[in-house]
Amino acid sequence: MIFENGKEVVIRVRGLAKSFGSHRIWNSLDLDVYRGEILAIVGGSGQGKSVLMRVITGLVIPDAGQVSLFGRSVKQITPQDRVDIEKRWGILFQDGALFSSLTVLQNIQVPMREHLELPQAMMDDLAFLKLTMVGLPPDAAYKFPSELSGGMRKRAGLARALALDPEIVFLDEPTAGLDPIGATDFDHLIRKLQQTLGLTVYMVTHDLDTIFTVADRVAVLADQKIVRTGSPSELQHHPNHPWIKEYFCGERARAASPGQRPRIPA
Amino acid sequence: MLKRDHQVVLPTQARAPGFRVELKGTTFRLVATGAWTVAEATQLDQALKRLRVPIPPTPDFTGEMDIGGIAEIDTAGAWLLQRTAAAWQAGGLRTHYAGATESFRILIEEVQSRGNAKRPKLEQTSLLTQFAGDMTRALKGAWDDVIQLTAFLGEVTAAFFRLFHQPWRFRATSFVHHLDHAGLRAVPIIALICFLIGAVVMQQGVVQLQPFGAEPFAVNMVAILALREVGILLTAIMVAGRSGSAFTAEIGSMKMREEIDAMRTLGIDPMDTLVLPRVLALVVALPLLTFIGDIMGLAGGGLMAFGLLGLDTSTYLDKLREVVTFQHFMAGMIKAPFAAIIIALVGCLEGLKVEGSAESLGKHVTSAVVKAIFLVIVLDAVFAMFLSGIGV
Repeated sequence: MIFENGKEVVIRVRGLAKSFGSHRIWNSLDLDVYRGEILAIVGGSGQGKSVLMRVITGLVIPDAGQVSLFGRSVKQITPQDRVDIEKRWGILFQDGALFSSLTVLQNIQVPMREHLELPQAMMDDLAFLKLTMVGLPPDAAYKFPSELSGGMRKRAGLARALALDPEIVFLDEPTAGLDPIGATDFDHLIRKLQQTLGLTVYMVTHDLDTIFTVADRVAVLADQKIVRTGSPSELQHHPNHPWIKEYFCGERARAASPGQRPRIPA
Repeated sequence: MLKRDHQVVLPTQARAPGFRVELKGTTFRLVATGAWTVAEATQLDQALKRLRVPIPPTPDFTGEMDIGGIAEIDTAGAWLLQRTAAAWQAGGLRTHYAGATESFRILIEEVQSRGNAKRPKLEQTSLLTQFAGDMTRALKGAWDDVIQLTAFLGEVTAAFFRLFHQPWRFRATSFVHHLDHAGLRAVPIIALICFLIGAVVMQQGVVQLQPFGAEPFAVNMVAILALREVGILLTAIMVAGRSGSAFTAEIGSMKMREEIDAMRTLGIDPMDTLVLPRVLALVVALPLLTFIGDIMGLAGGGLMAFGLLGLDTSTYLDKLREVVTFQHFMAGMIKAPFAAIIIALVGCLEGLKVEGSAESLGKHVTSAVVKAIFLVIVLDAVFAMFLSGIGV
């Protein structure tokens, strides 16, 4: 385990570099994620926000640099350790990435079936519990992903990400494609689940409302690295970087900033 | 997972989950210890199921879930505790929690409130009802297909005749493009397949007719079969698999991305731009391909005749001249434009039926190929009856 400033670092990224063809997205990227926080990753398009999430979760191999998860470098772990680490996180992909041939309930049970040997009755009970915790109506359980709306698919995807009670959840654009009411509900849900389950949330987002209402810390991707981290209000009041200034002090940011909208209490 | 103390790494023995039940005064206490997490849930579940619900001797006995010794808990653990507490409650013990930290309390309350949600029952239908339902749906689907295909044929025909009044609506570029893709580029594969099948039929014919000393008649069989049936059927099936599916995929992916809606709002008729060029191109291409298929089938037969019967080219051609009449050739050729219309119509119609998702696209491509091949074979059977009826 790595500690810094008395907080446990669950994800540590050091010196990451990645290019796609001749296009270099990061040069030397450093990032720490602390236990129990909601971290939002922001950045202009093409800065590799989603790629960073995919590097951390092992879907994309970086050109250089290292990633440590729960204090262990991913380069040095065995495949079995890798599976153990995968059990400790849950990932919500942009459109839920639910398996289209399974019902919502079966989707939620996939990780349980794969990694644990629970009796069917208990899996049903737990899956229903997760289903209601993410705010889906119970009758969504037997529906197929194609019968759900976009917002419901995201919730179902979140329920599947939470199936094994992970310590970290990765959210890729959790509020993209939702209407403002749905997005606000989702912000509240993230905060509520983070409190109830003691989650660490790693969130890729553009949504200023989400950042100002739920994020504890924001990491800004620009100039091929993380240029700054800090609380949303810190970044807004002391931008120190042209992109941050444009993003946090633009018209949209003013409308979404904490003065205009109450923060969901932690 | 919630930990009692974030910084402490638990030694292994402290992680082992467990519980005991004790009676203290008038309180039945379930004292839980260790890690109550999903990884340990199976073991805890079995142990808790063996636990009998204490029966209170008098109503003033109470229950207590003492979770002060729990080091880690998650929703599975909280759910197990909650299930036990609910069972005790139902047995007449007023049960409460003790020793919970703030975060444990939030989780347990959440599980408590969510666990009570009413669950819909999955409707179980009998096999017979399911079978009857499936049959009805299948028949209705087939009937709908007939109606839709007929209506679509009408629309395409109307659009075709409109071309005579308004010839500028004809999309020549698109027509030539599809002629190239569905026609010219299909030549090698169709030639090869017809050649091979011609050879195989000749070889089988010779082998089967040999015991009767009738092997020279294998040439008659191959010639007539290739011209009347094999050439057109193989070509049509190949084209249905190659071009029918491509039509569905092209039009379907445009439909998926709302391109067709965009066309309509821009005043462009998808019938003119997408459907007609494809139908017309296939109507031109398929007879030409069938002709190539016929010739290659005869060529394949000729190769085998040379190998097995020792017939050289000029003898083989002479035999063909004796056997084959123009009628045989036309009996095959006449089916080609009809098969082309069927394949193109089914391909385009299935493409237009695609809805928003990728699954829908895949489903319609498959069904386009299956339906087109089925209809081509039906068409062939109808023609066989008709032609034998008029004595051709």
